[in-house]
Amino acid sequence: MFKILNIFNLLFLVSFAQAQVTKGSLLIKNGTILTVTKGNMENADLLVENGKITKMGKGLVAPAGTQTIDATGKFIMPGIIDAHSHIGIDVVNEASRPSTADVWVGDALDPLDLSIYRALAGGVTASHAMHGSANAVGGECETIKHRYGTLNPEEMRMEGAPRTIKFALGENPMRVHGEGNRIVPATRMGVEQIFRKGFEDAKAYMAAWDLYEKEKVKNPAALKPVYNKRHETMAEILKGNIIIHCHSYRSDEILMLLNVCKDYQIKRLVFQHTNEGFKVAPELAAYGAMASVFADWWAYKFEVYYSTAYNAAILTKNGVVTSINSDSEEYIRHLYHEAAKTQRYGSLSDEEALALITINPAKQLGIDQRVGSLEIGKDADIAIFDGHPLSIYAVPQFTIVDGVVRFNRSKDTADQRLRASATRAETGFFLHKEQHNHDRCLEGAFENTATFFGLERE
Amino acid sequence: MIIKDLILSRWIYPLLKNEKVTGFFAFMLIGSCLFAQSGIPELIPVTQTYVLQNVQIVVRPGQIISGGTVIIQDGLIQAAGKDIAIPAHARKIKADSMFVYAGFIAGLSQSGIPRPESAAGATGGRTPGGQGQQRPRVSDPWNPTYEESGITPYVRVRDVFKSDDKSLEEMRKLGFTAAQVYPIGKMLPGQASLVSLGIGKNADELLLKENTALVASFTPASGAFPSTIIGVMSRFRELYKNAIRLQDYQKSYGSNPVNVNRPMADKSLESFFPVLDGKIPFIFQAPDMKSVYRVQALKNELKFGVHYADVKEGYYVGDLLKSEGKPIIISLDLPKAADEKKPVADSSKNAAPKDLEMEALKARTAEELKRLEGQAAKLAALGLPFSFSTVGVKSTDIKETLRRMIKAGLTEDQALAALTTTPAAQLGVSNRFGTVEKGRAANLVVSDKSYFDEKSSVRFVFIDGKIFEYEVKATPKAGANASAGGKAAEAPKVAGKWSYTIKAPGMNTEGILSFSGSGSDLTGEWTSSQVPGTNPISNISVEGNKLSFTSNISMGARQINLDFNLSVDGNSLSGTVGVGTFGTFDVTGAKIDGQ
Repeated sequence: MFKILNIFNLLFLVSFAQAQVTKGSLLIKNGTILTVTKGNMENADLLVENGKITKMGKGLVAPAGTQTIDATGKFIMPGIIDAHSHIGIDVVNEASRPSTADVWVGDALDPLDLSIYRALAGGVTASHAMHGSANAVGGECETIKHRYGTLNPEEMRMEGAPRTIKFALGENPMRVHGEGNRIVPATRMGVEQIFRKGFEDAKAYMAAWDLYEKEKVKNPAALKPVYNKRHETMAEILKGNIIIHCHSYRSDEILMLLNVCKDYQIKRLVFQHTNEGFKVAPELAAYGAMASVFADWWAYKFEVYYSTAYNAAILTKNGVVTSINSDSEEYIRHLYHEAAKTQRYGSLSDEEALALITINPAKQLGIDQRVGSLEIGKDADIAIFDGHPLSIYAVPQFTIVDGVVRFNRSKDTADQRLRASATRAETGFFLHKEQHNHDRCLEGAFENTATFFGLERE
Repeated sequence: MIIKDLILSRWIYPLLKNEKVTGFFAFMLIGSCLFAQSGIPELIPVTQTYVLQNVQIVVRPGQIISGGTVIIQDGLIQAAGKDIAIPAHARKIKADSMFVYAGFIAGLSQSGIPRPESAAGATGGRTPGGQGQQRPRVSDPWNPTYEESGITPYVRVRDVFKSDDKSLEEMRKLGFTAAQVYPIGKMLPGQASLVSLGIGKNADELLLKENTALVASFTPASGAFPSTIIGVMSRFRELYKNAIRLQDYQKSYGSNPVNVNRPMADKSLESFFPVLDGKIPFIFQAPDMKSVYRVQALKNELKFGVHYADVKEGYYVGDLLKSEGKPIIISLDLPKAADEKKPVADSSKNAAPKDLEMEALKARTAEELKRLEGQAAKLAALGLPFSFSTVGVKSTDIKETLRRMIKAGLTEDQALAALTTTPAAQLGVSNRFGTVEKGRAANLVVSDKSYFDEKSSVRFVFIDGKIFEYEVKATPKAGANASAGGKAAEAPKVAGKWSYTIKAPGMNTEGILSFSGSGSDLTGEWTSSQVPGTNPISNISVEGNKLSFTSNISMGARQINLDFNLSVDGNSLSGTVGVGTFGTFDVTGAKIDGQ
C-alpha cells in the first residue's frame, strides 16, 4: 500500500509540476544590500536570472533587455517571511472535531485574496497560511509565495516547502469542543490527551501497515488496513516529515507540549504566539524548539495577559530561533515595524531584528536553504525600501518574488483586485474589517452554529 | 402557459377538433376533469398519431428542412422530412410555419426532486431538535454517520423523485423533455439519472436511464465533519481510497473466502464501484473558478472520470476545461446586472460631482458580468461541448438567460446543441434523443418563431409522443384593456399590512409585511419574530397576481438574502421564500388592514 500511496504522491507532484511558476530576470543597481546573514554591501548591484540570485557585487552587467531597477539610495533586503498568517486561503478552521489532522488548508488556496497584494506592499514575499486554532490538532498548513496575479491556486504553493501542521493549546480548543460540544478537551489536561491519543493511534496505524507490507510478500491477497488520513498525518509527524507549529500562550502548556514531543521523539517543533515564551526560553533553546511571536500584542483573552514586548529579544538572547509574525492581514503590511520594536524593547542589532522577519521564519518553515537571506543561488525574493527597513520612515518600493516584480509602488493603482464581483460595485477595501481587531485563529470555528428560522446554515 | 387542463388536452381535445367550445362542451369537460381527478381510469386517446405540416424542422443544430412534415406515431418520430404521405388517422396540429426542435435535455437538474423535510441532510438522518435546541447534535463528533456527513451516494433518483412535482410542468413548457436529475444533498448527494419530464404515475414510468453518474460537490455538512471545503476534500480522498480497498477485498473474498474474514458491506463505498470500474463518471459541481481547480487536483490525484458541472466561471478556465477532453455542464444561473437607479433628471446646476472611484468600480463590475455572460460563447469558440444545468435556476429566467448568452456571442446553433445533441451524447442516448429523425423518441418542441427569438412562444411539446399544448397569452395593448374581455387580471392591491407565517421545519416564523404606494412606486418593509427591527424590502415586482420581492438582512457578520415569490388572491397570499443557502420555505399570509 505504501507503494500505492507513493504512486499517489508522485501523481500529486506531477499535477503540481503542471502549474508553471513564472520566474523573472532583472538587475538591481547601486543599492545598499542587507543580506541579513552575510553583512551589508554598499552601492552594490544584484543580478537575478530565471528567478535565482546569481551575482551580487559592484558593476554587474546584465544581458541586453534585462529589466533594471535603479536602487540608488535605496535598501535591498530579503523578502519578508511571515511564519503565521491566514491569508490566501478560503478556509481557516475545520472545527468539527478536536483533531482534524486529516485536513489541509492547501486544498482551499485563494489566489484572489487581496491581502496577498497588501502583504506584498509591505515587502512580504512568502507566508505560512495556517489552519486555525479551534482544535488541539488542526489541519496541515501551506507555505505560499506571494505570486499575486496568478489565478491558479497551484502556482501559489512554495514548491518543495516541507509539510507543516497546526496544533493549539489552551482556551481555543477547550472553548470550541469542551464548551461547545461537551466533549474532551474541556480542560488543558484534555488538550494534552488529544495529542497523546493521536500519536498512539498513529503508532498502531503504522504497525498495521507495516504488518500488511510484510504479509503481502507471503500472501498477495493480504488484507490492507482501512486508509485513515488523520492517523496517516500523525504518523508522518512521528517520522519527522511534518513540522509542528503550535498555537500557545502559557509557559506551563509550552512545557507540556515539549514533554509530549520528548516522549514521542519529535524534534521539529515551533511555538506560535508564545507570549510566555520568555519564561521558558532556556528550555526551548535546549530542546531546539523555535518560537514565533508578536512584537507587542496581547490581552485579547484571559490567557494572553502575562506578556512583554521584550519577549522576542529575551528569546533571541537565549538562543531560541525566533520570528515575529502577523496572524493578521493588517499587521502583515508592516512586519518591518514590528521587527523594529525589538530595538526599542531589547536593543537587538539591525541584523538580529531583520532576522526575526527573514531568515528565522524561513528556518521555522524549513525553507531557509531557499529564502530568508540574500545569497547567491537563493530564490530572488526581494524587498526594496527607500530607507532602512527598520526606520519608521522607510516605505517599500518594489517587492520581487522569483525575480518577478509583484509590487511596484509607482504603478500601484486604486483597484488591485484580480477579479471583481459581477453584481456589486464594491471597493474591497474593507473586505476584512470585521477581523481587523483580533487574530483570525478562530475564524469559522463557530460558523456552523449560526441559525436562521431555527435551522442551521448549510 | 397551460390553458387547458392536461387531461383535457390529451384525451378530449382531439374530439373537439377545431370547433368552438360551446358551453355544453365546457360543462362536460369540466365534469370529465373532475372524474379524472377523482380516480376514473384514463380514457384511451382517439389517436396517438400526429402530423406537423409545413414546419421548419431543425433536425439538429445547423440542419433545417423548410416546409417539412413530421409524423409522430406511437411515441416515436415516424417520419421527418419532405414529401411524406400523411396517414388518414393522424391528427393535424396547427403548426404551419412553426419551428420544430428535438426536445431539450437538461444536463443537470433537480426537477421533480422535493426538498427534504429536514434541512439537516439529504435523507433525513436527523431532524432538528425541539424548541430551544438550535442545531441537531451530531451523534459522535469523532465518527459522524454517513448521513450526518452528507455522504449519501447510495440515494437513487427513483427513491426520491416525485412524478407529480410542479417543477416538471415548469420545465416542460419551456421545451425541456428530459433531464439528468440527482437527489438533493451535500458532498455526495446521490446517483444521477436521466428522467423524462412527461406524465407518469411514479418515478419508474419516467426513468430513462438509471445511475448515469455519481454526483459530488464541495458542499460541507452542518456541524459534523466535513464542515468545510478542506474537510470535504480530505474525506473524498479517504472514501475513494477505501472504496478501492473494499472492492479489491470483495473480489478476493469472492474468489477464495477460506480463512478470510468477510468484508463488511458498505452502501456508501459500494456506490463508488461503477466509477472505479469506469462505467460512470463523477459529476462534480464546480461553479466557481477555484472549484474547477480543486476538482482538477482531486481528479489528477485519484484518476477518476469527471464531468465538471454547474460551471459559471469557465471564462477563466476554458483551456483547462478543454484540456480535460470531456463535455461539461455549465450553469444557466447568470446573475442579473445590479439595479441601475433611474438617472436623476439632469439639472446641470445642481449635478453632483461624479464619483470617479465608484464609476471605475461599476465599470469593473459590468466587465465581470460580461465575462460570466460570455462564458458559453468562449467555451463554444474553444470547441468544448457543454450542456446546461438548471440547478438553482428559476425556470422563468431560462429563456432570457439563453438570449443573454447569445447576445454575448453564442450562436443559436451552439445554444441548441447545448440543449439537445450535447446532453444526449454526454448521457449516451444520442440514438434515442437529441435530433428530429425517424425512429427517435417523439420528444419535440414546437415554437411559433425561432425558439431564441424574443417574441417566440412554445406552442406544443411532445414527450414520448404525448402532446402538451400551450396557447399564447394575448398581450393586452396599452389603452385597449377595456375591450380585452374583462378577464385581464387586475393588479392585486398589495398596499397595506399583511400578516404572514413562514413554515420551516420545527419552527414557524411570523411577522408583518407592510407595503405602501402602488405600481412602480411600491415600497415596503417587514418585521419578524426571528429578526429584530424593521427590514427594508427591495426589487418589488407585481405581475398579474404574482408578487415578488427580496430583502437582505444581516445575521451577525453574515448577509442573508430572502427571495419572496408570492401569489396574491384578494386578501390572502401564499407562496415561497428562499432563504440564502438554508432552503426554500412555504409562506402564507392575510391582509390585516384593507385598503
